[in-house]
Amino acid sequence: MTKILLRDKLDDCLTRWHAAGFDVVGPVRKNNISQYATVKKAGELDLGIILPDRTLKDLFFPQTEPMFSYRISKQKIDTEEYLPPGRQRIIFGARACDASAMAIDDPLFGWDYQDTYWFKRRNETVIVTIACTAADEFCMCTSLKLAPDSTQGSDILLRPLGDNRGWQVEELTDRGREAFSRIEALLEESPAQTAALADVPIKFDLDLCREWLQNPENFESHFWKEISMRCIGCGTCTFLCPTCHCFDFQDEGDTYTGIRRKNWDSCSFALFTMHTSGRNPRSTQSARWRQRIMHKFNYFPGKFNLNSCSGCGRCTRECPVDMGIIETLQEITKLSQ
Amino acid sequence: MTDNTQNGRQNIYKPAIMKIVAKRDEAPGVKTLRLEFQNPADHEQFKQRYRTGMFGLYGIYGEGESTFCVASPETRNEYIECTFRQSGRVTAALASAEIGDLVTYRGPYGNRFPIEDFYGKNLLFIAGGIALPPTRSVIWSCLDQRDKFGKITIVYGARTVADLVYKHELEEWQNRSDIELVLTVDPGGESPDWQHRIGFVPSILEQAAPSAENCIAVLCGPPIMIKFTLISLGKLGFNEENVYTTLENRMKCGVGKCGRCNVGSVYICKEGPVFTAAEVSRMPAGDL
Repeated sequence: MTKILLRDKLDDCLTRWHAAGFDVVGPVRKNNISQYATVKKAGELDLGIILPDRTLKDLFFPQTEPMFSYRISKQKIDTEEYLPPGRQRIIFGARACDASAMAIDDPLFGWDYQDTYWFKRRNETVIVTIACTAADEFCMCTSLKLAPDSTQGSDILLRPLGDNRGWQVEELTDRGREAFSRIEALLEESPAQTAALADVPIKFDLDLCREWLQNPENFESHFWKEISMRCIGCGTCTFLCPTCHCFDFQDEGDTYTGIRRKNWDSCSFALFTMHTSGRNPRSTQSARWRQRIMHKFNYFPGKFNLNSCSGCGRCTRECPVDMGIIETLQEITKLSQ
Repeated sequence: MTDNTQNGRQNIYKPAIMKIVAKRDEAPGVKTLRLEFQNPADHEQFKQRYRTGMFGLYGIYGEGESTFCVASPETRNEYIECTFRQSGRVTAALASAEIGDLVTYRGPYGNRFPIEDFYGKNLLFIAGGIALPPTRSVIWSCLDQRDKFGKITIVYGARTVADLVYKHELEEWQNRSDIELVLTVDPGGESPDWQHRIGFVPSILEQAAPSAENCIAVLCGPPIMIKFTLISLGKLGFNEENVYTTLENRMKCGVGKCGRCNVGSVYICKEGPVFTAAEVSRMPAGDL
């Protein structure tokens, strides 16, 4: 006997969660972009898609976010902090790759110094993941040693039932249990047959790739130039990456009043590393692509024992010149064999 | 969160406010500001944490933040001095700020020079141009406890006589009998009354030929100078483990999150900016 959440009870669940003070967020199509956004009714949820165009990162680390305002007068600077609003929220219908990505970035935003903006939102959010029963040719979670039903980063895992009537509920964390206690009366206890998980073939050998990347000789390999030759440096892969975390600060305003913002930045851009003198340690697109791959699959795992990639495949799916992590790691796998 | 690792700050991106209490022209386009904390708690945190070698992010609201070393030594932590060349938006705003104006500061961040490991040793400081400020911070940290060290040699060069910074301190060091100061300017950069050496730092260093015996070298300068000076230090018999330098890269957060300052796997803002030459030589040269 397992706990079952039936699809036709979803509207009642949302009502109870709303009544308990939770915002509910899920995959929806908004402004013609598939993304995680706040919903009022279960009918708004777009649960049939493989994964949203945009990632869960947007909800914890927005593309642009005001950090604080400043007001300068003679001999005085007043600042006001804009901290996240402090509302509890439930993300219903996250994909396992997107949920994993949040757990991957936790150590980054927390090593020695805590990023208040990230952790405030992380602590206010319950992530309810639905395991994938469908995938496309860009999905690569299994290549990252994750799976369509990975629990990393999730508070609740829902496994779709074979008859599509709902989901089997796996409570993973106290936070998840607390949120689901609010809808306890709507859950059923019954035997359940879960649907087959998506078949996601392994596309490259991650261990071989890591080994190749760790070899100092390969840092200057001609491979980097060849593989990145068609990169136009648009940054799409970084903006649509659930784990890419690079940012910039910008002041908007004038000498007297304004706002300091934290904005996404990208290692694909030449300006990202350019010194004031004009000297740029990563002056070519190939050096920047190398940085991106090295960071995700060598430096980051070296520091945090996690790959900075959860295998969502958006970098490759959305690349305007059909490059991406899949091709690069497939080629590195070939080079290592 | 009030633990020490957060610099006592809830929001690590929110700077402290400091007042400009002194301002000095060092060289064309180069200025030094002396800053004092406005909030005693910020000052207390700074005093507890600051060690020579660390850096900070200095800024003006509306313009942004720039990363410079703390040019004043840990032995003089009642204030912060920073020296910078006016070259962009933030430095232009800092350069035009007047005594009494308020600026922002985040830090101190990064690692430090392990000065207590230098006790009992001879010290060789080598600096080029505007890289004297980080070196000067170490120099004063050592001069303020002079009896703990052996012979102290300073080799400092700039493109022209005008480009030498901290001229008043160079004069002070010149007049001290417990320091050997070697000054040089690049060929063509001398003035008619220039009394010191003419030549590039690496060759002048080889001429001065300080002994590598029981000696620690601290080397700061532009990348090209560092490259050739390391070769000269090698010729003089210096072991890479005994040569310290600082790396600088573009930074935004200063705390290992914004993702741009790494050389290979090493984050300059967290594991640096102070490295031994041996550590630098293990980094991928193509990323430096």
